[in-house]
Amino acid sequence: METRAPGRIPSKPPSKRESEAAVQGIWSGTISFSLVAIPVQLVRAVDSGRVSFRMLHDKDYSPLQRRMFCPEEDKLVPPDEIIRGYEIGPDRYVLITDEELESVSPERSRTIEIIEFIDMEEVDPIYYDHPYYLVPLKGGEKAYRLLVEVMSRTNKAGLAKFVLGEREYLVAVKSAEGALALITLHYSEEILPDEDISPKEKKIETEEKSRIKQNIKKMMSDFNPEKYADRRRKKIMEILSKKVKKIAPVEAPQAEEEEGEGPADLVAALKESMRKVKKNR
Amino acid sequence: MAGKAIWKGYINFGDVNLPVKLHTAIKEERIQFHLLHMGDRVKLRQQMVCAYEKEPVPVEAQVKGFEVEDGKYIIVDPAELEQTAPESSRLVEVHEFVKTVQIDPVFLERVYYLEPDIHVKGYNSLVAALKEMDVAGICTWAMRKRYYLGALQTSGKVLRLTTLRHAEEVISVKSLELQNIPLSEKELKIGSDLIDQLTAPFQPHKFENEHRKKLQMLIDKKARGEKIAILRPRRLKPTTPDKLLQALEASLKKVA
Amino acid sequence: MTRRVVESAGRRLSLSNLEKDLYPSYGFTKAQILEYYRRIAKFMLPHLKDRALTLKRYPEGVDKDFFFEKRCPSYRPAWVKTADLRPDDGERMTVCLVNDLETLIWVENLASVELHVPLARTGSPGTPDSMVFDLDPGDGVDILDCARLALILRELLFEMRLACYVKTSGRKGLHVYVPLNRKETTFEDTKKFSRAVAIIMQKNYPDLVTAKIAKEYRKKKVFINWAQNDSKKTMICVYSLRAREKPLVSFPLEWKELEDLAGQGDPERLQVLHSEAVSRAEKQGDLFREVITKKQRLPYL
Repeated sequence: METRAPGRIPSKPPSKRESEAAVQGIWSGTISFSLVAIPVQLVRAVDSGRVSFRMLHDKDYSPLQRRMFCPEEDKLVPPDEIIRGYEIGPDRYVLITDEELESVSPERSRTIEIIEFIDMEEVDPIYYDHPYYLVPLKGGEKAYRLLVEVMSRTNKAGLAKFVLGEREYLVAVKSAEGALALITLHYSEEILPDEDISPKEKKIETEEKSRIKQNIKKMMSDFNPEKYADRRRKKIMEILSKKVKKIAPVEAPQAEEEEGEGPADLVAALKESMRKVKKNR
Repeated sequence: MAGKAIWKGYINFGDVNLPVKLHTAIKEERIQFHLLHMGDRVKLRQQMVCAYEKEPVPVEAQVKGFEVEDGKYIIVDPAELEQTAPESSRLVEVHEFVKTVQIDPVFLERVYYLEPDIHVKGYNSLVAALKEMDVAGICTWAMRKRYYLGALQTSGKVLRLTTLRHAEEVISVKSLELQNIPLSEKELKIGSDLIDQLTAPFQPHKFENEHRKKLQMLIDKKARGEKIAILRPRRLKPTTPDKLLQALEASLKKVA
Repeated sequence: MTRRVVESAGRRLSLSNLEKDLYPSYGFTKAQILEYYRRIAKFMLPHLKDRALTLKRYPEGVDKDFFFEKRCPSYRPAWVKTADLRPDDGERMTVCLVNDLETLIWVENLASVELHVPLARTGSPGTPDSMVFDLDPGDGVDILDCARLALILRELLFEMRLACYVKTSGRKGLHVYVPLNRKETTFEDTKKFSRAVAIIMQKNYPDLVTAKIAKEYRKKKVFINWAQNDSKKTMICVYSLRAREKPLVSFPLEWKELEDLAGQGDPERLQVLHSEAVSRAEKQGDLFREVITKKQRLPYL
């Protein structure tokens, strides 16, 4: 099951705004550059793929969900009873509310302010962390399109910082086939140095290098992700296709399993009709 | 220092067969929060809960299902899933090379450094070749019982292996269904000029995670029992379509 | 891989892999699948119109890798009609609407062998056009038992003044549809009604019928899956092919025919193959027409 991988913007911190987040994508706010402000929503650019399993209850095959549970009171806890705490000692916490969290960097919790533009070719790909898309909210469509077009024309990307929940991200906003893509970047301090694994011996064998280049030349092609099959997915699908032929898929019970046979009038009418049917047969 | 070595493999293509060690290349610093129950401040745990009975379900009673039809699942048991795991191998097979610039960053997932394992000269030659031709090798390998797709590139003097996402995992721009709004040449020209004025070289070291420091200060303040001033997040007024040109002109004036 | 470009109604379609055999043990290529759908289109399209399509794709053949797709593929041609759904548990989703022949062909070019649709149209997702009784045989019973059950069910519904229509699922069971076609009908109505019917059928024919979903109750019985009457559920669209060994079709049967075949004892004779589907439809027309036109009201609710 998916755990929170580092670098991924997490779902909104548990609060009353949880339902809001579910409808509106991951985050919504404004992206700005100089005096232009565009209302946008942050949405996923990556979908973990079709071979995702659901955990089910073996008794009745109802889907399982992750919920927070209080071990002391031995019960499930609804989102509005959950609070964020920072551990300062054994079982001692400092509680931080959403409002307090947002007040840490108030200029950046609802705004992605592009402070400068850069040439993407200058960015070493090691800086890239996770991709998202920005979609315009009502009223911002024109300004959004302008930003997309001019970044495409000038072949530049915008650099900004913004805060989501507990973390601040350095991001590159670029034009991608007519949309704004937002890619979170690693901070320099997060990229580990490589000097210690870099070979001390600097010498290169020119003949060997030429040979390698020859090999590479013979293997040149164009980058096309559609070419590369997802082998795990293929294998899982094979197993499933075979199984589905032999066994009927299982199904979960209904959420509201009503008690009784149904509305009284209907049941009475059905009883009477059934009596007639049996008589005729 | 680079992260610790997590795996050993051989890079293979043509007559190149290069043993390497994989190291993590990124280390993220995070302030770790716990989720607590509001009343008694007890640390909460995650549980898998049955959607209908609303009761926690122990691990022994959990099964994995794959949805084949709406609401209908085929159960897959761990032994079957084991079969889908790749056989153990140390081979990192390069299938083709592409120009580095062709790889859209949306496909890049996780990056690792590669350290030469014994044959340093061959390693250096490969680094030089990749750098001079500005190419990346598209490769596949099996690690920790999973299949991987990746790009082999250089990073300064070392080799780097970045895992790639599969095409099906990336959501296409077309699915966002964005409208095509016409823009005037004037708006486009001023916008482009504005960007040129705001262009700077990419200097990543300029950027620090200031928020983390401030958050730590906030935590320390609260721990000491001090009062925190709640500042409202700044919300900007959106630029309406009719005011766009004006905003662009004013911006250009400001920076030029 | 061969590619052919065709034009229909001013729209260009690029068809690929036409000679690929998608039913390897029977022998039925993609070209043949397209041909089937082209010929059945005029009978099938009214049943697909304005319904959120769930594609079930078998690009490598019915015995291999399949996936089902609710989102309309992003690389669709501009003329493919779509609708925006906002399910309450997730992000918005764009779905395909197969409202014309070219879209049907386009969808089939994606090897979407099976087409599944909801009981309601996208404009009114909470309003089912019909109520369905999905008769699903458990281990040890077959389509003939479903047929016997369907005939009793029909009589019961007749006593309740409701007309109904039956089709094969194309697999092991039968589907009985009760047309409603009224904007006042809700899924709550159809679910309540069908559940009550299922329970009374189970009470009166306990050796043949069950209304209980749990697996242990379904051995040697026909399960009346009343729970299919739900806005989130889909049914195989009438005239759709099934991805089984043979290209069988979910095909409407006449009640008289069902009566005769139920007595004869050969389950195979209830199944309709693609070629038979085309010739029968061309001769008799759409036997399921009334399911989307006839107005009926559920009594006693």
